[in-house]
Amino acid sequence: MNLLNHPELLDKLASAYALGSLRGGARRRFEALARQSPGVRSAALVWQERFAAMTELQPVQAPDPNVWKRIENLIQAQPVAAPASTAGAPVLERLRRMLSLWRGAALAGGLATLTAVVVGLNLGRQVEQREAQLAQTAPQTEQLSRRNAELTAQLESRPEIQYVAVLNDENAAASVLVTFDPRRNTLTLKRVGDFRESPDKSLELWALPRGAGQGAPRSLGVMDGGAVVRLTAAASEVQQAPALAITLEPKGGVPPGSGPTGPILFKGPLLQTPV
Amino acid sequence: MAHDFDNLQLIALIDRIAHRDAVGGRSSDAETALRELYELTSSKLFGVALRVVNNRNWAEDVLQEAYLNIWRIAGDYRAPLSPPMAWMGVIVRSRALDFLRRRASERADAGLELDDAITETVAGDSANPMDTSQASQQAQALYECMARLESRQREVVSLAYLRDLSHSELAQQLRLPLGTVKTWIRRGLEQLRGCMGRFA
Repeated sequence: MNLLNHPELLDKLASAYALGSLRGGARRRFEALARQSPGVRSAALVWQERFAAMTELQPVQAPDPNVWKRIENLIQAQPVAAPASTAGAPVLERLRRMLSLWRGAALAGGLATLTAVVVGLNLGRQVEQREAQLAQTAPQTEQLSRRNAELTAQLESRPEIQYVAVLNDENAAASVLVTFDPRRNTLTLKRVGDFRESPDKSLELWALPRGAGQGAPRSLGVMDGGAVVRLTAAASEVQQAPALAITLEPKGGVPPGSGPTGPILFKGPLLQTPV
Repeated sequence: MAHDFDNLQLIALIDRIAHRDAVGGRSSDAETALRELYELTSSKLFGVALRVVNNRNWAEDVLQEAYLNIWRIAGDYRAPLSPPMAWMGVIVRSRALDFLRRRASERADAGLELDDAITETVAGDSANPMDTSQASQQAQALYECMARLESRQREVVSLAYLRDLSHSELAQQLRLPLGTVKTWIRRGLEQLRGCMGRFA
């Protein structure tokens, strides 16, 4: 019996599995199915994600102040790891980490809310296609390493991208992808949603301040109507911001030095790629 | 807007912690980020720890282990897979369960835990009304769907997940017939499936 042909039963098993009610032989059989089938795995992931939210529903209680003290002492006592552990990681290792991210997104079938993505975005759609293909075939080392090699070659031919943001709309749908190349001081924005501003309006990009009282949002530039937009920005303007936002302004944007006047349409955290 | 900025803030903080080992190291920045994260989230996570282990001192130990865990594995966090609070909540739950397993052999404490567990169920709905402005979409959906369950179903479903208890363990701890526990869980799950399906 193919469980994928019985969606109600799959839902029943996946929810019981995620709750922890499925035990013993039934649990092992379900896990075996999940290993073989991305569809079953996806159903399990959806329910695991749902039940994980249970942890957010619990009553709030302040812990004793001494708990933080203990954590702080233990952190400071930890040896500092060698820098090479992340920065010097070979391209294939970075790729594997990126793929693990995309694999999760592909499996959860769009139900995972995209609030941020840390990835080399120039790979764009090709990664998604390849990842969809990968998710559907049983893991085969040879195929995987061939695809890894292809993606590696692509990665190596691109400029080194370090900063990335996915700006989402109110429905958490990705609308604008942003990358920053500090070697070329270039912000590249790519429209991926359906939104198009009317001819009398412009979209303006802002770097948000670190926190309340830390200053006003800083304009990084006004977007033209193209699908891909390039803006020049100094690394210091971009790197300090925890998040970016795009507002809807009159044509040409706001006067230099002013803050945003229009509504925030898209926003997202600015993250470093896992190099 | 405040709600979204909270999530963005948490994600950015986790990222700062994760990158302490990068070249041009930001180790002190990572410590600051962890403290900020602690200030924003410790009360919520302490609440989770308390629900699982049911003892203040134990919960403090669990909380400490959880934040150390977060410090170590911040680099593994993937925002598309789960909102930050859910990710951290699951870490707390895991450390809490580890803690309970380590103490499982201590017979003297087992009795104490049983009594507390019964008290919880008898009291019925133990959850405070949730501050939904701060919660992820997933948590809001779950909250609304859980609220529609009978309080006994809600309680066993909560305990089953938070304490990772099987039907027979639940039956034992709550001193209820196995059949009753199974029925409540089955019905609770049925209702949740229908309700959560509408939220997607």
